[in-house]
Amino acid sequence: MNQSNVVRTDRLPAVDPAAVAPRTLRLSYIVRIGLMGVIVALMVLPFVWMLSTSLKAQQYILTTPPQWIPNPLTFESYTGLAERINLGRTFFNSLFVAVVGTMGQIVISAMSAYAFARLDWRGRNTVFLLYLVTMMIPAVVMVIPQFILVRALGWMNTYAALIVPGLFSAFGTFLLRQAFLAIPKDFEEAALVDGANHFTIFWRIIMPLALPSLATLGVFSFMGYWNNYLYPLFVARQEAVVTLPIALATLQAGPRALTEWNMVMAGSVITVLPILVAYLLAQRWFVSGAISSGIKG
Amino acid sequence: MYRRLFVLCLGLSLLFVLPAAAQDTTTIRYFTFSAAPDHLEDLDTIITAFETENPSINVEVETAAFADYFTLLQAGVASGDAPDVFELNYENFVTYAANDTLLDLSSILDADAPFYPRALQAFQYEGQQMALPATFSTVLLFYNSDLFDQAGLDYPTADWTWDDAIAAAQTIRALGTDTWGLFSPTQFWEFYKKAAQNGECSFFNEDMTEATINSPACVSTLETMVGFMNDDLMPTAAELSGVSDSELFLSGKLGMLVTGIWMFGAFQEASFTWDVQIEPAINQHAHHFFANGVAVSATTEHAEAAAAWATYLAASETAATVRVDSAWELPALNEPAYFEAYLSQTPPANRAAVFTALESPVTPPVIERQNEMQDAVNALLTQVVDGELTAQAALDQAKTELDALIN
Amino acid sequence: MLVAWNSGFQRWKWVAFFLLPGLVGLSLFVLYPILSSFWLAFQDWNLLSPPEFVGLGNFQELLGDGDFWRALRYTLTFIVLYVPIVFVLGLALALFLNQKIPGMLLVRASSFLPVVASWVVVSLIWKWIFNPAYGLINYALGIFGVQGPAWLFEPQTAVYAMVITSVWKDVGYIALLYLGGLQNISESYYEAARIDGANHWRLLRHITLPLLTPTMFFVAITLLINYFQMFEQVWLMPMRDSAADRQVEVIVTEVVKNAFSYNRMGYASAMSWVLFALIFAITIFQLRLQKRWVYYESE
Repeated sequence: MNQSNVVRTDRLPAVDPAAVAPRTLRLSYIVRIGLMGVIVALMVLPFVWMLSTSLKAQQYILTTPPQWIPNPLTFESYTGLAERINLGRTFFNSLFVAVVGTMGQIVISAMSAYAFARLDWRGRNTVFLLYLVTMMIPAVVMVIPQFILVRALGWMNTYAALIVPGLFSAFGTFLLRQAFLAIPKDFEEAALVDGANHFTIFWRIIMPLALPSLATLGVFSFMGYWNNYLYPLFVARQEAVVTLPIALATLQAGPRALTEWNMVMAGSVITVLPILVAYLLAQRWFVSGAISSGIKG
Repeated sequence: MYRRLFVLCLGLSLLFVLPAAAQDTTTIRYFTFSAAPDHLEDLDTIITAFETENPSINVEVETAAFADYFTLLQAGVASGDAPDVFELNYENFVTYAANDTLLDLSSILDADAPFYPRALQAFQYEGQQMALPATFSTVLLFYNSDLFDQAGLDYPTADWTWDDAIAAAQTIRALGTDTWGLFSPTQFWEFYKKAAQNGECSFFNEDMTEATINSPACVSTLETMVGFMNDDLMPTAAELSGVSDSELFLSGKLGMLVTGIWMFGAFQEASFTWDVQIEPAINQHAHHFFANGVAVSATTEHAEAAAAWATYLAASETAATVRVDSAWELPALNEPAYFEAYLSQTPPANRAAVFTALESPVTPPVIERQNEMQDAVNALLTQVVDGELTAQAALDQAKTELDALIN
Repeated sequence: MLVAWNSGFQRWKWVAFFLLPGLVGLSLFVLYPILSSFWLAFQDWNLLSPPEFVGLGNFQELLGDGDFWRALRYTLTFIVLYVPIVFVLGLALALFLNQKIPGMLLVRASSFLPVVASWVVVSLIWKWIFNPAYGLINYALGIFGVQGPAWLFEPQTAVYAMVITSVWKDVGYIALLYLGGLQNISESYYEAARIDGANHWRLLRHITLPLLTPTMFFVAITLLINYFQMFEQVWLMPMRDSAADRQVEVIVTEVVKNAFSYNRMGYASAMSWVLFALIFAITIFQLRLQKRWVYYESE
């Protein structure tokens, strides 16, 4: 990146930074607004469709041309859903597991990430490679061994079974390690001079600075717990602990009955809402979180 | 004063001992797929009646959707934690019996229990009774009487052949572009049944050492089935576009539908008149005999209690009447009295056809690698339907694959 | 690192404090199941009877298994179609989203919406959208006089439909990763170049893209690791009993089928380990290659 020319700044016309903003595509204003609208529409419309279907009565679901606004608009799919599955309890189960699990995962990943990013020890890179390797195995093959293990621990049909195994995520450690690596060492060095130990540095300096990445991990973690189906299917069979995706799966009747699609869509709406809320809450930190986990190799 | 205290303590402690002695209850776990989600209360009724008659036994129910049921059951067996009593359908029974996971029930079988002999046989393995038949269902020809009237046709009779059905379907199809004649898909279950109707086609030979699925009789059966779609009597999957065959029938646009008697309930809301008839024959009649059984785990710690529950569920009058009254499948018992209520409900008017069908039952060919066989056959049948393979070529390929699976 | 409490025993105490909880948990709940599955790859196990040792038998069977090779072909087809599209679209979207225009926050939020929804929900919605008779896409095509295909019924068109759905679902996430990289690029580079009078295309080509290569590298690796393991779309989207349903399989759907439908846990495990070997090899290859095209600021 050498510039050999010497530029005479008094001869330059005034440059409007936005006009030559290199990180953007320069388009006229209208086209830009138009494009924004198109993107929002493309991303959101399918969900609007889902919401619309959930508010339709059974017989109006299959129509040509597709009907956007339900007419008549009815909540029968939601009430039917609440009757069919124990909506209150399953929702609570899913929420409890997801919230506790997310908090736990953040703490454990952060501590592990600190060990990789800020402590220097022999074998560090090898162990980290081990973490990475665990992400390359399809999770499905682990389900049966995990089930047998959980059963041996006596955790069948408990919240522990749903929460604990998911706490140890290589992905979370990886994400936060990158984030911690991006934090300049200056803060620490100042603190060390003041006599702080590792835990103080971790808790008072690194964590607050990495808040955006923590929020990012929080959203992904919440999503993981909330949407998990295969593993909970094996360990949460009693109504006291059953989670939402499993309960909703029973709506999709096998070949021996008719599926009520409006109810299935209602279930989907209910499934998506909490994650949306979690995402909107974390929004403030979200993008900057991706920045800090900014990839420095 | 201390003596009084002592006696009080003694008395109190007795209070703890006595109930403990009386609390000799055994708890057994029962795992089922057919009860959820619609019949949990009915199951509870049966359980309450059983527990009243057997106060020392407590039955705990676990349920799962059919799609996940066998995976969960296997995981349970694998981890040494199988339920004491569990439901098995006919297709999976052989696998479980062959792997020594079931308790031999021959000794507890009450010789007077009025099971259908065919049903009992279905759950025998190497001569031993390894499970008890709990319910059965069958598949019949459903037809839309209004469409038949509109087409000026006579209703299907018990001596119809498939040629009669095809002719009727053509007339109904001609009524309009979105009215279809019949629906009988080309897939594994329909194929082995039509094979039995043909009479000379069978998937395997007698001792199950070789597949005979590519015999000329089988090829011609398959060609007849594929003909339904090729002659435009039946919509293709793309033409159905995600609407199920039942939904098509309910919408009044289908003349005849081959489906199971479990749809009686769902079809109640039809806005047209409909009825059932036994399925047309090719050279003879043959009807599906689907059976669900109840088995006891070989590793159960409460064999007696478990066996008692299994027998009650399969053979007691309470269980039978609860099932019939709530349209929750039919008990596999040869007791006409139980079915009076069932027969008098309408629609359909011709419920007697259910029992006529039982006179020509056919069970699916079952091997240990059942799912692989079904998938392999279905894949090849789809290719015939799509015109990628001729019936002969597909069945020759099927023979190769099936031979590999049984060896 | 400085200070006395970093030496010897003290240091290991800290390592233990921070690392051990996660490592122990990982070993128990992740590593142990993984090792079990490795052991299982050499067994024949139907869950109902004890496992039987078969040595390399499963791997030999894999070599001759037409279904496995077909699954591998479909997996590669998906990757070849999907990865370039989402790689480029994600970048374009990120560049667009990076502008400080009022309302851009809404656009950013909405492009992440598909990412947070589960595949169960997404596949339900898009199955309807791709429905040949009742869906939006064929309806829209019909307005232009085009007869839309039976998307999720035929293998070829089903693959396209699944690629489109996957792009829709993931592009927001990829754009987010790029955004992070973009905002990391120091403003000073741009200022200096602007003073030189460079126009924005030059800036894009000579500053933005080279400095973005670390992010692109991360994106490429993430995409490949994830998509070799793709599962949900192929399991959920093809219409039941259609030709697409019977023929379109990827490696992980074959693994699941063998494990849970055919009860061949050993065979399924062997298949996953072959997949792992593939992913590992490609990742190592990517790591070697990065020296050629990735520009690290610190070098």
